[in-house]
Amino acid sequence: MARKWLDYKTDAWVQWCPGCGDFGILNSIYRAVSELGIDPEELVVVGGIGCSGRTTYYVKGSNFHALHGRAIPVATGVKLANPHLNVIVAGGDGDLMGIGGGHFVALGRRNIDLTVLLYDNAVYGLTKGQAAPTLPAWIKTKALSSPNIHDNINPVMLAFAVGFTFIARGYAYHTQQLKEIIKQAVRHKGAALVDILQPCPTYNNVMTNKWYEERIYYVEDEDPGYDPMIRTPEDFAAKAPSIVSKLLEFGDKIPLGILYWNQTREPFEDRLDKIMPGYKEAPPARRRLDVDGRPFLHPFDVFKDRLVAP
Amino acid sequence: MADINIIIGGPQGGGIESAGQIAVKSLVLMGYEVLGSREYHSNIIGAHSYYHLRASPERPKSLKLPVDGILALDAESVFTHMFEAREGGVFVYDPSTAATRLASIQPMSKALKKRLAEFFEAKGMQPTVESALKVISDSGVRLVGLPLKEMLKTLSERTGSPVARVSRAVNTLGLAAMLYLLGLPRSYIEKAVALQFAGKEKVIAMNVEAVGIAIEYVREAFGQPDSLPEGPKRGQVRMVASGNDLVAMGKIVGGLGVLTFYPITPSSDEALYVEKHNYISLDGGLAEKLGYDKIAIATVQMEDELASINAALGAAAAGARASTTTSGPGFSLMNEAISLAVQAEIPIVVTLWMRAGPSTGMPTRTGQQDVLHGIFSGHGDAPKIVIASGDHVEAFYDAIKAFNWAEEFQTPVIHLLDKYLASSMVSLSRDEVDPSKARITRGKLVEKPGEGYRRYEVTEDGISPRARLGEATMIFTGLEHDEYGGATEDPVVREVMMFKRERKLKAIEEGIPEEDKAVLHGDRDARLAIVSFGSTKNPILEALDILRGEGVRSRFLQVRLLSPFPASLVSDMLDGADKVIVVEQNIMGQFELLLRAYTGVKPDSRIIKINGRPFYGFELAGALKRVLETGEERVVVSHGS
Repeated sequence: MARKWLDYKTDAWVQWCPGCGDFGILNSIYRAVSELGIDPEELVVVGGIGCSGRTTYYVKGSNFHALHGRAIPVATGVKLANPHLNVIVAGGDGDLMGIGGGHFVALGRRNIDLTVLLYDNAVYGLTKGQAAPTLPAWIKTKALSSPNIHDNINPVMLAFAVGFTFIARGYAYHTQQLKEIIKQAVRHKGAALVDILQPCPTYNNVMTNKWYEERIYYVEDEDPGYDPMIRTPEDFAAKAPSIVSKLLEFGDKIPLGILYWNQTREPFEDRLDKIMPGYKEAPPARRRLDVDGRPFLHPFDVFKDRLVAP
Repeated sequence: MADINIIIGGPQGGGIESAGQIAVKSLVLMGYEVLGSREYHSNIIGAHSYYHLRASPERPKSLKLPVDGILALDAESVFTHMFEAREGGVFVYDPSTAATRLASIQPMSKALKKRLAEFFEAKGMQPTVESALKVISDSGVRLVGLPLKEMLKTLSERTGSPVARVSRAVNTLGLAAMLYLLGLPRSYIEKAVALQFAGKEKVIAMNVEAVGIAIEYVREAFGQPDSLPEGPKRGQVRMVASGNDLVAMGKIVGGLGVLTFYPITPSSDEALYVEKHNYISLDGGLAEKLGYDKIAIATVQMEDELASINAALGAAAAGARASTTTSGPGFSLMNEAISLAVQAEIPIVVTLWMRAGPSTGMPTRTGQQDVLHGIFSGHGDAPKIVIASGDHVEAFYDAIKAFNWAEEFQTPVIHLLDKYLASSMVSLSRDEVDPSKARITRGKLVEKPGEGYRRYEVTEDGISPRARLGEATMIFTGLEHDEYGGATEDPVVREVMMFKRERKLKAIEEGIPEEDKAVLHGDRDARLAIVSFGSTKNPILEALDILRGEGVRSRFLQVRLLSPFPASLVSDMLDGADKVIVVEQNIMGQFELLLRAYTGVKPDSRIIKINGRPFYGFELAGALKRVLETGEERVVVSHGS
């Protein structure tokens, strides 16, 4: 059922700074989920800690505001319990690439049907501007007392290496394009990453809107022959080199759009259902657990490997 | 009354565990109740491990030393257990190890080598297996040297398999010889072998042949021993399960939907047992009643303990019964999420198998060092439920109750157990693990509550209606929040929510039955009171029996609910006691601290064990007598290899 984007707006005051890229992301989420017709009750937004995590209060859904870095494990648990829910993770670069980096890696291995929206502004905003894992080396933003001497993580390349099956990059101020990318990411059955570049007008005085606009381009515009779609293992062998070089591109030019889309890997929940047919039909969250208020399995009938029978 | 005690020692990876289980099964088949425990190093292959078991007509309350039979499968085992056989017992060994010198045994700890070397030197003996055997023999123990090499050759000839292959049955040769000498008939040993290797016909045939060869040899050499009488449970179907198994069973019976874990001793075996049984087909009638015919439990090894507990939180919020299992080091990583579970009011069960810390400590040894860690886990004011099981049967039911309480009170439940319960196993009857004695209660779980649902509705008992994620708009959050879950730092709402969560403590106190809070055993009005918690229960009960036999009356207060601490109940149960002794397995007096803090009772003495081995009833009885005689404030007991 098509819905209006206003159906997803809550009455909470949105606390982000004026001009924050987060507004563009929030608007894109509203429009994407409304066009996809996902009921708010069946939409689960799991947020980490930081400015991005506040999305859980602003999108009407059945949401979970998790700990710093732990949005992906929480979302994983939600999907394990009920694989039918639409789950979106909203996290910052510090949250997903720093403190929660190990979970990001593990999500790729599992290819759970989740959409990860990476709010990527290269700084820790809510704690007042420290360098985040995506801040390139030698940049000195105004909150830093000396230039950043850590090199930056490339989230899309990391996602590729660990097994994400949908990888895209968007720009927070291009809400129309970002909305379309998010829609595809949510539709995709598997682990999806949308790396969303966004200025932090308060703390990142180097990577500004101007900085981004000078570098970003959409692959479908500038490189119409680029094909991110993998439908067979042969496809992968043929296209991986061009995909990898596109994923590696981050400097004077930064590609946007869908960079990689692999449809050959089944999501984790399908694998669970394969080893345990019936799992998706009666998922753990929905099963009845009692008969007349009591458990119904007797250990002597179920755990026969522990019986000693004469 | 028959009371059979056995130790089987050998190198890790040398079939000690399976020999132990065959011994347990033989005795269970004979109708005995059995307690068996595995002691092992943090090592894959080569270090010394041993299986210690006890069988009697009633379930043994603890292990016992010295034992009736020792099987030493290598030289290190001869040295390690040389003082642990009783007069008149048997000590089975391999004569080809006789010349082995103490110094040449690589895996043995330097400290034990030094202690033994000093012992031999003081006796003017060479530090060899031969000397050890002489000491054993001089103490009235019958030495039984088995020519294992020849026996393996015979086994190879009879089975037509090469010696290298049949040498895997060397443990069975030794075991069968010892069990036979202790009076176990051949048929029970053979049947136990068949059960142990069920489904592997060739392995069974080889091991049954080994049983025969060993028995023929010892009958020839020592004559036919008197047969043990049959035990009272002969002919019944029994279960033999470890604490790890029983918690896994309790969780599954209790409706477990998602189990997340990260491998860590001694919790992993619980998770692996769930994994083995995470897919259960239901019969037609039951399936019709329930509306589904397959139970599929998502059992997932996560990337770390942070992920394990946070995924459990997500699963519980979505409506599944979710749990994770760990031990001290892993639980340290889970602390932040415990606090979130309290604040977001999410019902999860964390099974905490205590081991000997601090830090990595002795990962495969037991202890009770995480009492305070469990109770005070999580930052902020974090009310939670902590329960401690006293034995295997309690562990099974507590695993079910933990889910009920987590859901009734919408707060984390920490189920505290230890390595001793984890890797010791007992025999059980069908009615001892009876699900009809348990309940499934899900508290204020609501179905699709519709518009206006308030996840954190302020109620009289502090507990709000709980909808599953995906069935209503809501926000589970760790931030302070209003009734809808909206973040707020409003001072008035903050107080309202703090009081709401505090009221749950009262609901917990009123909702958890007395018998699950604390149990008074023994002579209820005795002036001597022993207070403890957890797996010390049965060793203490055994000690009480021993003391009673000597005319000393005592009561034993077992605290089961450690948080919220049942202060008034415990105070009442200690009424009239004029000597209070605390028993626990840590050095800081963690449980004693709780007792003092919540009841004002200052124990007169405490008995502790900190060497990583479980309490034995006999040593506790000795320690209690010592305390009564001397009034010592602290007695440390130290048995176990």
